[in-house]
Amino acid sequence: MTLKVAESEHTAVIHALGEEFEPRASGQERTVGWLFGGTGLALFTLMALIGLVMRFAQADSISISAEWFYRLMTLHAAGMLAGALLAMMGGLWFVVRSSVPALNFGRAMASYAAIVSGAVLIVVAVLVGGFAAGWTFLYPLPFDSSGQWETWAAVTFLIGMGLVGVGFFVYCIDVLKATTQTYGGLSGALAVNWLRGRDSSGPPPQVIAATAVSIQGIICSAVGMTIVLALLDHTIDGQVTLDALWAKNLTYFFGHTIANLIIYLAAGMIYVLVPLYAGRQWKLSKPLAIGWLFTIVFVLTAYSHHLYMDFVQPGAAQMISLVASSAAAIPVAVVTIYTGMMLIWGSRFRWTLTSTLLYLGFAGWAIGGAGAVIDSLIPINFRFHNTLWVPAHFHNYLMMGIGLWMMALVSYLLERAAGRTARRRVSIWAPVTMVVGGYGFIFSWYVSGALGIPRRWAVHPAGTEEYSLVASIFGVVFLAGFFLMLAEFASLGRDAWRRRASATPPTRSPGIAGASSEADLALGRGAEPLIRTSFGLTTAVAMAVMASFVFIPPVSEASEATVKFHHLAHAVQFFIGAMLGVALASAPAVVDRITPRWTNLGLLVVVLVPVAMLLFMVPAIYSDLEESNFLHASYHFVVLILGLLLGLGASALGRAAGWIVLASSVGMALMFAAGVTGG
Amino acid sequence: MELEFGGFQIVVLIAFLVVAVALVAIFTVVALQARRNVEFELVTETGYRLRRYWLAFLALLLTTGVVVSLFFLPYPSSADSAATVRVSGGLFYWSMSPQTVPAGSEINFDVTSADVNHGFGIYDPDGVLIGSVQAMPGYHNELDLTLDKAGTYMIACLEFCGFKHHEMIREFEVTP
Repeated sequence: MTLKVAESEHTAVIHALGEEFEPRASGQERTVGWLFGGTGLALFTLMALIGLVMRFAQADSISISAEWFYRLMTLHAAGMLAGALLAMMGGLWFVVRSSVPALNFGRAMASYAAIVSGAVLIVVAVLVGGFAAGWTFLYPLPFDSSGQWETWAAVTFLIGMGLVGVGFFVYCIDVLKATTQTYGGLSGALAVNWLRGRDSSGPPPQVIAATAVSIQGIICSAVGMTIVLALLDHTIDGQVTLDALWAKNLTYFFGHTIANLIIYLAAGMIYVLVPLYAGRQWKLSKPLAIGWLFTIVFVLTAYSHHLYMDFVQPGAAQMISLVASSAAAIPVAVVTIYTGMMLIWGSRFRWTLTSTLLYLGFAGWAIGGAGAVIDSLIPINFRFHNTLWVPAHFHNYLMMGIGLWMMALVSYLLERAAGRTARRRVSIWAPVTMVVGGYGFIFSWYVSGALGIPRRWAVHPAGTEEYSLVASIFGVVFLAGFFLMLAEFASLGRDAWRRRASATPPTRSPGIAGASSEADLALGRGAEPLIRTSFGLTTAVAMAVMASFVFIPPVSEASEATVKFHHLAHAVQFFIGAMLGVALASAPAVVDRITPRWTNLGLLVVVLVPVAMLLFMVPAIYSDLEESNFLHASYHFVVLILGLLLGLGASALGRAAGWIVLASSVGMALMFAAGVTGG
Repeated sequence: MELEFGGFQIVVLIAFLVVAVALVAIFTVVALQARRNVEFELVTETGYRLRRYWLAFLALLLTTGVVVSLFFLPYPSSADSAATVRVSGGLFYWSMSPQTVPAGSEINFDVTSADVNHGFGIYDPDGVLIGSVQAMPGYHNELDLTLDKAGTYMIACLEFCGFKHHEMIREFEVTP
């Protein structure tokens, strides 16, 4: 075996022993990998150039107006988010498809289309409309532009961000539906059954990662859609007001969580790619399975550290975030990165451009994570909040972690397609140059943060421009390495093209090509009902009946007292409809009629219904209806019907995804009621 | 606005650099060992044993950080402050009342916003950032600070608020 490795390693793209674990890639996997990874890398390139322009401007080396600086800042952040998200979604999909053939290619492309459309709208909002409220669009800034942009620009930006959220939502639903159907439900796909000894083999690590990220992604997207829709409602009816603290909570829950999830999407990808170069498989283990269960909790509860300096934020949220922000480091450092190092140690690791980028990404994640944990301690945050320490740590793990992994994904696809590795000199010098430039660029920020220089300032305090100049020079060095790598990518791409042209048409690998539809049909057996027992059915109907107290005259009259109570009543009516919808869809006669073909319709329904529901909750729209008893009653009936549709739609998504989507959607209505008033 | 490194910030920066250097050292060692040919069973045997110590060390380090943090929370206590300074951020100004306070006593900053979110960052006369609190519309965040040094403090906006965000700076006097 050792001899085989020695003979083949000079020509092989990956470790000779790694071929055993290599994901079987048919046309669909490659399409997703190329499209998502390539688009992500293209956005990364453009946004990196914009970032460098901003740093040179802060260094006072070039002159751009503050108005344009903040536009570029908004575009840079939103563009990077969309790019990194796309690339890692594609990377995870690419590696998971072999284990989960039920992943649907069409739905992956639909999520791609939504995110790219969102990115285009963001570009239009910023470059044409002049929108510059930052990618976090913190209420009420989008509507208080000091004359810098029109309302249409804010609306365009919000719809753009909403589409990014919808794209991620669709992706997560499909992934969760597929992994849970393939591995025996949620407890199977998260390896809980394996931990309890009920499943002898358990899912591969990348499936656990995909399942965990999908659960969090659905919740995160639902929260993001709630704040986006609430802001859109404000544009429809200017009298609608949002509670600023509520808006901040939702915005940062969405923003922090989606940015954080990019890393966890990437974790799933590296579970498969790193073993290809180490020749050792990344296997399921108890620490890994338990680590992911904790990660779900930590990721969903850490966001409040963005509100540490909002002293009116409930203390419990601050304390939970304090613990979760630190604790989240344990699964990362003790399980994922540590296991990666064990796989690499003494493995006759195959160093190529791809594997070098993969390896360096671990370092970016670890060092940036340390910077994040330090800033997540409240007394430290008190003196570092919104200083340049913040972009320092997140660029550390996004640029030197995710950025390098994004490049590694494209590099892997290219090296595989070209049948050769990148040239040795480039494989060494491009990463070395990027590491020197990247860390010089980032560490300038860490030092600047310690100096107390605020983040997001177009013009830095006098006497501190040198820090930006040093960073800019290092930024140029980083880009030199990056473009050196891109040039090699072009060369690899040319070779891949020639190789493809001269090769005989590839035969479709059995079991993978077109697997989605086959798997869907195999898994069809009608739908997997959300409720499987008569007890469950009774409970759902009973909950709907109990919630119907909202229609009792004294309660319904009381609910008209304030907008908040009125919206709460809407949410309850929505819930009633949803429960009845689920009960209806779980009836055997209906279950048999819900085939996998209904999945896309169900998906469309669960996207559109909550949007309609929240857009409907604008007093300017419904207040006129209240003058007529019939119209008023009809209006509430429509809310109930929307809930019913939601229940039916969710029932076409499988049990795990269906219930999480249902709970998130009802949660959207409840959250909305809690924070939106006026009108 | 001239800035200086504070002692606290330097300690945090050095602590981070120590961690970063340690991580770089670990990653360098692993990279140098990657080309060797070691039986994986041997790697896992040693690796799993070391992982327990690594977990214990990291858990202890993080727990210490969290517990120590609890003793130094910046959130206001119920103790009475010597004076209250009402602060309101607006596009793109700070209004403060009163505009001067005596040195050495605890000041209660009652911070809110007249429009969008702002960040009330306060720099001492040496130019060291000594703390911050958010200025949020519809809410009052109360920050208790003891300003020992007499002189001119600077207030700067630490939450992005628009195209003149970086110009939202004002002085605040602390008299001897």
